[in-house]
Amino acid sequence: MTPDQNHNHKMGTLVKSCRILERMNRSDDQSRKSYSLYFRILGDYFQRICTAVEQNKPMVLHTVFLPPEIMYAMDIVPMHAEMSTWMTAIFSRENQSLLDKAAEIGLATEVCSAHRGLVGAFALNFMPRPNAIIWSSLMCDNTAKSGELLMEINRSPGFFVDHPFSNTDDEASYFIDEMKDLIGFLEEHTGHRMNWEKLSQMIERLNHQIDLAREITELRKSVPSPFPMQRFLEMLMHYYLLPGQPDAIQYLEALRDDLRYMTANRKGAVTNEKYRLMSLFVPPVSNLVFLNKFFEERGVASVIEPFFNFWGEEKLDPNKPLESLAQKSHLFPEMSFYGLFQRKSLEDARKAAKEYKVDGTVFYSHLGCRQAAGTVKFFQDTFAEEDIPFLAIDFDLLDPTVASESEIKQKLEQLLEVIDDHR
Amino acid sequence: MLKTLERFREVNNTFPDNEILRGAKSQGKKVIGWLCTYLPEELLHAGGCLPIRITGYQQERELTTGDAYLRINTCSFSRSCLQILFDYGNNFIDGLVGGSTCDGARRLFDQWSMYLKDSSFGHFITIPRKYTERSHQLYYKQIVNFKEHLEEYLGKQITDEDLVKSIHLYNESRELLRKIYQLRKSDNPAIAGSELVELSLAGFRMPKELFNEYARNLLAELETSNRKLSGRVRLMLVGSILTNSQFVRSIEEVDALVVADELCSTTRYWSDPVVLDGTPPLQALAKRYLNNFPCARMVPLDERFDRIIQYIKEFKVDGVISQTIRYCVPYAHDLPLLIERLKEINVPVLSLDVEYGSSGSGQIRTRVQAFAEMLEGKKK
Repeated sequence: MTPDQNHNHKMGTLVKSCRILERMNRSDDQSRKSYSLYFRILGDYFQRICTAVEQNKPMVLHTVFLPPEIMYAMDIVPMHAEMSTWMTAIFSRENQSLLDKAAEIGLATEVCSAHRGLVGAFALNFMPRPNAIIWSSLMCDNTAKSGELLMEINRSPGFFVDHPFSNTDDEASYFIDEMKDLIGFLEEHTGHRMNWEKLSQMIERLNHQIDLAREITELRKSVPSPFPMQRFLEMLMHYYLLPGQPDAIQYLEALRDDLRYMTANRKGAVTNEKYRLMSLFVPPVSNLVFLNKFFEERGVASVIEPFFNFWGEEKLDPNKPLESLAQKSHLFPEMSFYGLFQRKSLEDARKAAKEYKVDGTVFYSHLGCRQAAGTVKFFQDTFAEEDIPFLAIDFDLLDPTVASESEIKQKLEQLLEVIDDHR
Repeated sequence: MLKTLERFREVNNTFPDNEILRGAKSQGKKVIGWLCTYLPEELLHAGGCLPIRITGYQQERELTTGDAYLRINTCSFSRSCLQILFDYGNNFIDGLVGGSTCDGARRLFDQWSMYLKDSSFGHFITIPRKYTERSHQLYYKQIVNFKEHLEEYLGKQITDEDLVKSIHLYNESRELLRKIYQLRKSDNPAIAGSELVELSLAGFRMPKELFNEYARNLLAELETSNRKLSGRVRLMLVGSILTNSQFVRSIEEVDALVVADELCSTTRYWSDPVVLDGTPPLQALAKRYLNNFPCARMVPLDERFDRIIQYIKEFKVDGVISQTIRYCVPYAHDLPLLIERLKEINVPVLSLDVEYGSSGSGQIRTRVQAFAEMLEGKKK
C-alpha cells in the first residue's frame, strides 16, 4: 500500500491558482477589499507547506478540528488534511481520480468522500508527504478511522487524539491530557519544543478572531444580505486553517469592513434579492460556483449557516491555553452536530430563522455524513412547526455523480415555488 | 437436530412480544434496552432489571420509519433498531442505554430520546477509543455516573455484593458460550456457526439465569452427541453486527464450515470474562468492557487484527468472509488494512457489502460459493 511514485504533489497548482485569484480580485471597490486578501492568505498557507517540504522543515498533517494552534506554537507547519486535499483536488479538477484510487485500495463508497479522497490523494502522491500524521475522533467515525490507513500509506508516524463525546469536567481533563501527550509526540518527532507564551498569544488573538466572526454573523442579518453563497468556505477557512493567526484577523477585519460598507449602502450580494434561505450543514462545495450563479439568477440570498457561524458567548483564557483549546473544541459552531443532539440547536435554528428573516431552509445532507443525516428529521419537524418551507437535498460534498447540478437546481426550484405559494 | 437449541429459537422467534418480557414486566422488573457491547449489562442486572439488547429485526425488511427518521445513509442496523423501537414502543422497554460507539448508534439514541423516551430511563455513556490508563479512568467514571443515575431511577442502591453476584452469573454465561464455541475447533464440529448465532442472540434477549440453564443443557447435549458436521473449507466471519442466522446458514449450505467469527453479536459479546481477583467490581467491569475483543471503532487497530489472526490459527481457518453493513464506517475503514494483514499470513478474504438482516441469498451466495471453491482448490 505504498504511494505511487510517478507523481509529484499538486499543491503547487493550488498555490498558483490562489495567486491568480488574488490578482484577479484586486479592487478599489469598498465592498470587495477582502476578496483578494482571502486568496493571498490562502496561497500563503499552502505555500508554507510547499516550502516546508522543499526546505525539509517539519510539516504535520492533521484532521479537522484538531487544534493547529499547537503546531503553530511549536513552529511546525500544519497541513489541514481535509481542506488541503480537497482544495487541491477542486483546483486541479482531480476529484474523481482521488475517489477512484480510494476505491481501488478497497474503501467502500459509503465512507465519507472527504476522507476517501484523502486516502486516494496520499496513495497517488498527490499531496506533500508529512513528517507525521495526527488525527482525532473530532468530528466523526471517519476522522477517527482515517489516520491509521494514512499512516500506512505515508509510512509516517502518527498520533491519535481521543476527544470525548461530551463536555463534562472529567472529559475536558481527559482531552487536555490527550493534548499534552500530543505535544510530547510532536516534540519527539520534530525536535521542536512547545512555546507556551506563543500559544497564549494565539489564544488571545483567537478571542479577537471569534469576536470578529460574531460581528460578521451579526452584519449578515441585513436586508438585502451582503454575503454571497460562494464565500461560505471563507468563513470556515479562517478558523480551520489559521486559528489565532494574524492573517486571519487581517482577513476578517477586511471582510467586516466590506460588509459594513455594503449594509450601510444597502447593497446586496445578489442583484435582486427575492428569497432568503438558511443553510443547514455544508452546501456542495464543489458546486459553489454553480450555486452562486443560480442564486444570482433567481434572486436567492443564502443568509446564514447557523451551525458554521454561531460561536456562542464564551471567552477563552490566554493564561490557560490548553484548557482554552479544550473549551474551543466545544465552542465550534459545528459542535451542535457532535455529542448528543441538543434541543438548543433547534431553538438556535428557530431563532436564526426569525432574526435573519428566512423564507425557507435547506438542509444539505451530505451522503457520507451520518451525524448530519440523523438530525434532518428534527429540523424538518421544527420548521414545519414554524411554518417555514424546508428542503433536504441529498448530495455528496465532493462527488458530483451522486447528485448532479441539474438535480440540485430542480430541487431548489421546487423550494422556491413552495415559498412563492406560501407567500 | 439439537433439541435444546429449539428453546433458544423460540426466544428469538417470538422476541420482543413474548412471555419472557411480559413475565419480567408482570414481576415488576424494569426491562432496559442496551445498544452496544461496550455497555455493562451486569449493572442493569444488579439493579434488578432485565437487560435486553436492541438489535432490530433479524431479517432484512422494509424500514419505513427507520428510513424516514435516520435516512438511508445511516446503517440499516441503526434504522432497524429504530424501527423496532417505534413498532413496539414503550410496551417493549422501560428505558435505553446508549454509548458513543459510532455515529449511527449516537443518532439512534438521539432519535429515541427525541420521539420515544418520554418519562422512561435514558442514559448515554462516553466510550473512549483508546486502551490507555487514562481511558480506563474516564470510562470507569462514566460507569460510576451510570450506576448513580440508575440507582436514582430505580430508587435503590446497587451494592458491591449485588454487582459481584451479577458478574459471576454473567461470567458463567460467558464460560458456557466459550466452551460451546470451542467445540468448533474440531475438524467435525458438533454445532454449526448458524446455530451459534441463534444461541448468542437469545443470550441477550432473556434472563441470564434461564439462559445459563438452557446453555448448560445444550453443552451436555453437544458433549454426548455423535453429531459431526463437515465442510470442504473452514471459514471465519468478521465485520459488522450480524443476527440473521440464515446468512450463516446460506454459507454453510455451500458445503463450508463457519468455525469462527469476531462479531459483536457473537464472539465479542462473550469473549472475555470480568476478572475480579480483589479488584472492586465497578473497576473490574470498566476494565473488561474497554479491553474486550475490540470493535473496529478502537485505536490502534492492531488489537483487533491480532485477535482475528489468533482465532484464524486456533480454529484452523482457510478463509475469511468480511461482511460490512453499508454505511458501517469503522469496519469499512479497517477493511483494506485487514486484507493486507491477512495476505501476509496467506489467508484470503471475501469482502461483502450487505444490508443488516441479509439472508445471504442470491448474488452473495454465488460469491461465497466461488470463494469456497477457490479455497478448496488452494488446499489441494
